[in-house]
Amino acid sequence: MEDLIFAAAKVMSVWLTVVFTLIVLPSVFGASLGISELYMRILVKTLEWATIRIQKGVKQEQAMALKNSASSGIIQRDETTMEKEIAGLHRVDFELSDVFYFSKKGIEAIVEDEVTQRFSSEELVSWNLLTRTNVNFQYISLRLTVVWVLGVLIRYCLLLPLRVTLAAIGIVSMIVGTTLVGQLPNSNAKDWLSELVHLTCSRILVRALSGTITYHNKENRPQKGGICVANHTSPIDVLILTNDGCYAMVGQAHGGLMGLIQRSTVKACPHVWFERSEMKDRHLVTKRLREHIADKNKLPILIFPEGTCINNTSVMMFKKGSFEIGGTIYPVAIKYDPQFGDAFWNSSKYDIVSYLLRIMTSWAIVCNVWYMPPMVREEGEDAVQFANRVKSAIARQGGLTELSWDGGLKRAKVKDTFKEQQQKNYSKMIVGNGSTGNPTMGAE
Amino acid sequence: MGSAHSMPEEIQELADKTGFTLEQIEHLHRRFKQISGDQRTIRKESFDRIPDLEFNPIRSKIVRAFFDKRNLRQASDGLAEEINFEDFLTIMSYFRPMEMNMDEEQLDHFRKEKLKFLFHMYDSDNDGKITLQEYRKVVEELLSRNPHLEKESARSIADGAMMEAASICVGQMEPDQVYEGITFEDFLKMWQGIDIDTKMHVRFLNMEPIAHCH
Repeated sequence: MEDLIFAAAKVMSVWLTVVFTLIVLPSVFGASLGISELYMRILVKTLEWATIRIQKGVKQEQAMALKNSASSGIIQRDETTMEKEIAGLHRVDFELSDVFYFSKKGIEAIVEDEVTQRFSSEELVSWNLLTRTNVNFQYISLRLTVVWVLGVLIRYCLLLPLRVTLAAIGIVSMIVGTTLVGQLPNSNAKDWLSELVHLTCSRILVRALSGTITYHNKENRPQKGGICVANHTSPIDVLILTNDGCYAMVGQAHGGLMGLIQRSTVKACPHVWFERSEMKDRHLVTKRLREHIADKNKLPILIFPEGTCINNTSVMMFKKGSFEIGGTIYPVAIKYDPQFGDAFWNSSKYDIVSYLLRIMTSWAIVCNVWYMPPMVREEGEDAVQFANRVKSAIARQGGLTELSWDGGLKRAKVKDTFKEQQQKNYSKMIVGNGSTGNPTMGAE
Repeated sequence: MGSAHSMPEEIQELADKTGFTLEQIEHLHRRFKQISGDQRTIRKESFDRIPDLEFNPIRSKIVRAFFDKRNLRQASDGLAEEINFEDFLTIMSYFRPMEMNMDEEQLDHFRKEKLKFLFHMYDSDNDGKITLQEYRKVVEELLSRNPHLEKESARSIADGAMMEAASICVGQMEPDQVYEGITFEDFLKMWQGIDIDTKMHVRFLNMEPIAHCH
């Protein structure tokens, strides 16, 4: 019995040593040993092989490109405007026919709408050997099954423990490190140390997810005293960005483990954590953020103006609050590659723990981050227009579609003001035609 | 690995009944699950989840049409409380585009079905005619909530259109003749020359997933 425990302890220590030297230590210096690059190359080759095998199993005529329909949906929407369509149908001014147009539009909306599909995971063009994305794909061949089983074993028995270990190390070192640094008096040395601790822990945590991140246009990286704005797909976005620079984070104060992390990090670096009651007071929030950016020595603030997680195929309405603060905005576009792992957090379907487990059992998290040149609010532009301008820029850079719907629709219903607009347009058309009928009618 | 279709015979039955292809049924099934929140049936409230639908002025009529027993071919009257996937497909099949390989009789029947669907939307009390009251209600709904439009204007628009309809269907009326309402035959007559079929269909993209084993 004791031998068993002894052996287990030995294995554990060997394991930890390996992890430390190969992964943790290089993170401190921001260096890479090339292990993850090798892993990614093997992974890409395997997935390519799998795709070819799947395609071979299909008859030639049926192998149509799915790319278009995967992103644009299952029906072809009729784009004729309301005006043209109704004018074409008119025999008299107001007609039973107008109901045609609206009922068709209604049915189209029921079959598929732009907004709801943004709150579920992106569909893949071809299967990536994860069971969870296996929607349409059927049994192909024995070899493919074997590779899939191998994949499951590697992911759950090799990668998952490794990643969990790393995550634990990362979180613990962040808490311990920032608390220690927080004890020091304020000085340049403290700032430098706090940056080092934050960066190291971020790097460890990113490796815990097998993250392969490509940063573009590093010269546009957010500077101190500015506000960094990015599209939101998951809580991991924060890690992706802090892997490459230090930011002051803004958010609600939580309890539990998250709260512990928040309390310890705020000692080392001036993050802005709000109590839940304070969040309701918009002026208070704006005031505090303004004070933060007024101090040019403080790190740039990181804000996600969509307010909720979207599935990374589109960018939804940016809430204007962040754009009213003033200062320079540094937009950042983040685009994940869904082939290796789905980063989207569907908070109504999964809670945070199952979400993290899913992330840790995916192949990898691959994403591209584009830093964009800074933007400032122009003369005569109000906060909403500015927000839309930044949103368009981010959508264009990241290759995402742009929607003006509010991300809050994930949970709430559409405001009445939007409904009325369509009805106003329609009635303007009818009344404008000057239809006044004869009021004497028989059937009453 | 790989999910074989769990109930191919049932899906084939649905395909035969409603005329959709297997892939379209699969996609619609996923959409159904989205709308119903993974339940087996949907109720009127489930349609509240669709933001795009909120724009539509006749939203309530469209939603109601899904539960109308006449459209579901279950009875000649009444509203169902909830509908399952098969009912959902039945309603959707009214909006299928015309097939190339349909013959004259089938095309005519199809056209009649579509017009009947629309007729049921207007004829809410189910007496087989669209009376002036019902017509007015539809107009009001289409033009409702516009603060600049008064009820009077909406009324007179409805009355004027009803007059037009009467003159088409019945011809010149005597001064004291009362026009009961638009029956389904009159409704068909009004639409005789016009090709409404192209206006009342939803085009499904032809898509097949890359991996497909028969």
